[in-house]
Amino acid sequence: MSRRDRFRGAVDRLSAVGDRVAAVSRLYTAVGSLRSWLEGHALAVLGIGTAAVLAVMLYLPVGVVFVNAGFEDGVPTFTHVADVLTDPFYFGFLADIFAEPFAIGSHLASLVGWVGAISISLSLEYPLSDLGIPLPVPWLGLETPGLRQGLFGFTAYQAGLSTIASVALGLPAAYVLANYEFRGRRTLRSLTILPFVLPGIMVAVGFYAMFGQAGTLNSLLGAVGLGPFAFVETSPLAIVILAHAFYNAPLVARITVAAWESVDRRAVETARSLGASERRAFRDVVVPQLAPAVLTGALLTFIFTFMTFPIVLALGGLQLATVEVWIYDRIQRLDYAEAATLAVLETILSLGLTYAYLRYESAQTGFSQAASPPPKEALFPDLQTALSPRRLAIVGYGLVTLVVFVGPLASLVVGSVTDGGGFTLDHYAFLLERQLEGESFQTLPLPAIRNSLLFAVATLAIAVPMGVVVSVLTARAGRLGTVVDTLAMVPLAVSGIVFGIGLLQGLVFGISLPGGWRFQVTGAVAIVVAHAVAAYPFVTRNVSPLLSGLDPAMVESARALGASRYRALLDVELPLVASGIVAGAAFAFAISIGEFSSTVILASGGESYTMPVAVERYLGRRSGPAIAMGTILLVVTAASFVVVDRVGGRFER
Amino acid sequence: MRRRTFVGAVGGTATIGLAGCLTQENGEGADSNGGDDATGDTDAATDDGTDGTDEETLEGTVTVATYESMVDGTDPAGPWLKDEFGATYPNAELEWTVPEQGLTEYVQRAQNGAGIEADVYLGANIDDLVNIDDNLEAGGLFTELDVERIERADRIRDGLDMGDPHGRVLAYDTGYISLVYDETVIDEPDTFEDLTEPAYEDALLAQNAQTSDPGQAFLLWTIDAFGEDGYLEYWAQLQENGVRVLDSWTDSYDGAYMNEERPMVVSYSTDQVFANMAGHDLSRHQLAFPNDQGYANPEGMAIFEGAEQLDLAYAFLDFALSNDAQAEIAQRNVQFPAVESEYVDLDEEFDEYAHEPPEAVTVGYDELRGNLDGWVDDWARQFASQ
Amino acid sequence: MTELRLEGVSKRYGTDDDETVALAGVDLTVRDGEFFTLVGPSGCGKTTTLRTIAGFETPTEGTVAFDGEAMTAVPPEDRDIGIVFQSYALFPHMSVAENVGYGLEFRDPPDGRSVDDRVAELLELVDLSGMGERAPDQLSGGQQQRVALARALAPAPDLLLLDEPLSALDAQLRESLRLQLKRIQSTLDITTVYVTHDQEEALAISDRLAVMSAGTVEQVGPPQEIYHEPATRFVAEFVGDNTVFDGRVSETTADGARVAVGDATFDLPALPPGTETVSFCLRPGTLTRDADRNRVTVAVDTCEFLGERVRVHGRWNGTAIVLGLESMPPETVTVGFAPEDVHVLETS
Repeated sequence: MSRRDRFRGAVDRLSAVGDRVAAVSRLYTAVGSLRSWLEGHALAVLGIGTAAVLAVMLYLPVGVVFVNAGFEDGVPTFTHVADVLTDPFYFGFLADIFAEPFAIGSHLASLVGWVGAISISLSLEYPLSDLGIPLPVPWLGLETPGLRQGLFGFTAYQAGLSTIASVALGLPAAYVLANYEFRGRRTLRSLTILPFVLPGIMVAVGFYAMFGQAGTLNSLLGAVGLGPFAFVETSPLAIVILAHAFYNAPLVARITVAAWESVDRRAVETARSLGASERRAFRDVVVPQLAPAVLTGALLTFIFTFMTFPIVLALGGLQLATVEVWIYDRIQRLDYAEAATLAVLETILSLGLTYAYLRYESAQTGFSQAASPPPKEALFPDLQTALSPRRLAIVGYGLVTLVVFVGPLASLVVGSVTDGGGFTLDHYAFLLERQLEGESFQTLPLPAIRNSLLFAVATLAIAVPMGVVVSVLTARAGRLGTVVDTLAMVPLAVSGIVFGIGLLQGLVFGISLPGGWRFQVTGAVAIVVAHAVAAYPFVTRNVSPLLSGLDPAMVESARALGASRYRALLDVELPLVASGIVAGAAFAFAISIGEFSSTVILASGGESYTMPVAVERYLGRRSGPAIAMGTILLVVTAASFVVVDRVGGRFER
Repeated sequence: MRRRTFVGAVGGTATIGLAGCLTQENGEGADSNGGDDATGDTDAATDDGTDGTDEETLEGTVTVATYESMVDGTDPAGPWLKDEFGATYPNAELEWTVPEQGLTEYVQRAQNGAGIEADVYLGANIDDLVNIDDNLEAGGLFTELDVERIERADRIRDGLDMGDPHGRVLAYDTGYISLVYDETVIDEPDTFEDLTEPAYEDALLAQNAQTSDPGQAFLLWTIDAFGEDGYLEYWAQLQENGVRVLDSWTDSYDGAYMNEERPMVVSYSTDQVFANMAGHDLSRHQLAFPNDQGYANPEGMAIFEGAEQLDLAYAFLDFALSNDAQAEIAQRNVQFPAVESEYVDLDEEFDEYAHEPPEAVTVGYDELRGNLDGWVDDWARQFASQ
Repeated sequence: MTELRLEGVSKRYGTDDDETVALAGVDLTVRDGEFFTLVGPSGCGKTTTLRTIAGFETPTEGTVAFDGEAMTAVPPEDRDIGIVFQSYALFPHMSVAENVGYGLEFRDPPDGRSVDDRVAELLELVDLSGMGERAPDQLSGGQQQRVALARALAPAPDLLLLDEPLSALDAQLRESLRLQLKRIQSTLDITTVYVTHDQEEALAISDRLAVMSAGTVEQVGPPQEIYHEPATRFVAEFVGDNTVFDGRVSETTADGARVAVGDATFDLPALPPGTETVSFCLRPGTLTRDADRNRVTVAVDTCEFLGERVRVHGRWNGTAIVLGLESMPPETVTVGFAPEDVHVLETS
């Protein structure tokens, strides 16, 4: 019947189990009263649980490493931070300013010198002459003298470009998915998550296989007499940015589709009735409602690509090194002080951006109860429509996505069934043989698949409540809420390498406790919780805007009618933000499936390895088996996402 | 959350308990093993023929830590070693463990006072030893090997002495870094200087010395060739000539090289073995040894300080140098055996496609000690500077 | 049923340095079965008072008691209240019947009836029989508000709280709903606290009302008393469009006083001995063109045609004047008032 029924159905089934438990416990009245106490305090209990999980699985490991940035032999010190800040290698021209922040005169002088060296010229250029079109174009030349960016500057620069590219490639997808109906739309929407779960090395290999001189694209172009083009060689930075867009444009698209589908049609119709053209109505009504989602996507993309690793070096080369590359290097060389300092600075930057964004987001939310999303048009209803400029643009965009997204994935799949001699099933035969004859200390494909799926489901079970609890606790808590919300985003803002090493030192090695005990956490449970910690911010980010958009009077009405805060959440708020929960859950699932850096550390020496870990472990001098495993990862993920979205869709409407 | 035993104390006791019997066995073994002096005789069966009584007295589980490709990946040597070791020592068992961070993980464990459960480490490079000594105390982590207890230790080839002043490691195999090139596109470069010539503009793919073993080996090779004062200048010329430094061997080889981005890549001298297996055209898998050299990367094995199963650990080290083990490690890992050729039988195909450089060079422990980090860092900073 | 008592209720937000006072010591008693209204301009604290009664706000100081039982530590869901908001706050994902029945999941329907019966009964009470299966967004605003009322009443709460429930509706609907609300309230005889900014609504519907301003209660009383005898200048100005004059006593006689306001002098009824200054008010209807005493000429600003009367806003001598006339005035109009119509607000 209604959304709420389905929601309640699931909850009832859960509480039916609880009822049976309760029947047993009725013998113990104390337990019975505990249960009612629990219902009354469910939110508080969940909140404390979330805090405890974060303390053990996030703040402890990260703290273990971060402490190296500010302490030397147990004594607080600022020298590590100062050293990094004043090193031009890291901070370029800013290093001078950090070194002598009060020498304003000399900084101004160098600024004046820099501005003075800018030259502007106006000339006529023939940019299209290569194509035989002698079209003169007035060209405004702007030459700025070189400004040393430093590692941080370059990292931010490429992250900015990657963000622009991801938004540019992601928004059209969101537009098409949210506004048009066509066969396979839902499946396509499910599959947008795929790039997200792919190990970096697979993306690199896939990109080379697609864009390399002997790659798929050049083969296709060669068939029509073009090329070959040295796509990768010509502009490594462009390829790196494209690879980042490959990862993150789907993220932007997914988040935006959710917002687009909840745009209130009536608002658009009102604007049209007031005389706004379709374009104006879009600009004035739709865009403001999409902006928070697009900016969320952009923010996440920026943070991810700021901490990118190892895709930059795999495709672009060491010239394009980012901060994360140096963190990895420092960790490898056991120089924790510098690694921690770099990571702390990275985190501060990411959290600063997050805070700024959240301030904006909280200023944006009004009460919207979108109950009537815009209807979807048929994509190609007839031939005439199919030839309209807009449909042709969509077709053009479709071709771009084929090249950028489908290409590398398809090339990877092709790579899994070819070797020097052409078609082969050797790589899959390897997997089969390993499965059938592998030894217990080896990595077997099926347990990897099983673990991945189990962990992903378990991650959902933890990350969704965690994310929702954080949303509920921060949604209307004003500025303090924004601060807490920002801190809740720490898992996204901490270098994956640092998190991994923190898990190793803090949880795998263990922490000495008095009395000769060591506190250690490893294995499957630790992996699931680590995944949940990495994943819950996605739930929070998807749910919070919707939650704070709800009329608070609804919760108050429910409570006045006798519902506890927890019941009001369950009965009223959650069904109304179901689309956000489903979107967040899908990300949580994907994060769990794709997570590598902490899984590999916590799975070390045990049997809790996952598909990405298996990919990495099969990677030797012959990459075929790893690519085959990567293909299986793709197929399993694709299948489970179709299922996740179908199941999730039932809650949505 | 479980209570840890004090590895050191328990390990020590075990050592004392077992040491006595082993000395005797060793003596007996030496007598009965005629293969040792019959140096010309390469019959594996005779050579490694062990008389059961010696091996049966050793019992327990020896834990051997190693890298991933030893146990996972295609046709790894690990399972064979485990089975064969178990067959040789019927009352003993070999257990593999793969630390995620490699040897650094144990360095960190030692730093953090976390216990080490492994007895043997298989796969230590010279720079690993430097890493240990720079971060722990000199000569730390591993015990100084009593070579007397490893009969087959003297089979190791000259030039594979890993140069550890603390005598902690024995090589069990070695690889050589060389250049792999496409003879249809470029000619074989004879010297390092050639690589800076226009003929090799935008031709070379290398790996990040910070993250990749072959990358670091190639960097050290250039340091060997140009000295620590000259290598940065040489790399500046390489950079000028368009060298591309990618993250890992897989990126540069499976990614860029195999998709014909460039005609030359820093790789291993065993390249053709794989190319042949996969059925690739060998014209794209030609080997070049600039300056007639290859950089040797011997892999060593060592025993952890305080190993619980010291006797089994020694037994394993000796076992790893036996004929069959050497052949299997070499062929499955596609590396070269550490022992002189008379102590190992390799398939003809391996001999045909695995090439050794005319001259093997290595930057030794003494030079690396205290310098390695600085060399790599200076190089990386020069490269990554915007 | 329930008697509601607030004692010394204060509510402050923020830190010591940057403090906002929402309520400053509110004392109120709402009698059992009474229709009690909190009225005042926005920001006066009326909604905060209501939310404090409901338990959504915790008072900084003071107590809220239902039938003498302190409620401070009782969460909203355990207070047995029904609440209706201006925004209706219907649950959009539930049908009308599900909305109305929601509270019955936590409290049993009265008199042992089934949930379905109770829902049907309530829908009938608000004239929405047969609408149970509709979704809330298929209903008009007025219908939605009636659903909200039915939902609040379904569990037979001890106390009904209404937060500007009619403000989002158009004028005609507002009046008819107001009547319906009053009818339902007196049928059920339920203690009701009603919050509005509309003084006319407050006067029309309430048994008693409290006029609030800046977090304090200015005056509590039945509508007639509030209307005719405003206790403070604020009440006078807020309720009933009074015109307030401030004057200085120039002469005191046995049966009255002469008071100078600006350059005019008015005859007023007798004032307490020793009075020097006086503030007094006049309701619009008491300023008439016919009156022959205390005449002033008012410059007309705006006129509102209200059918039987015309409300005129004007000014005289810097004082804002509100008149209730029978016909549209020209640009200026001269009116006067009888001394006995004067209501004295304060003297000193």
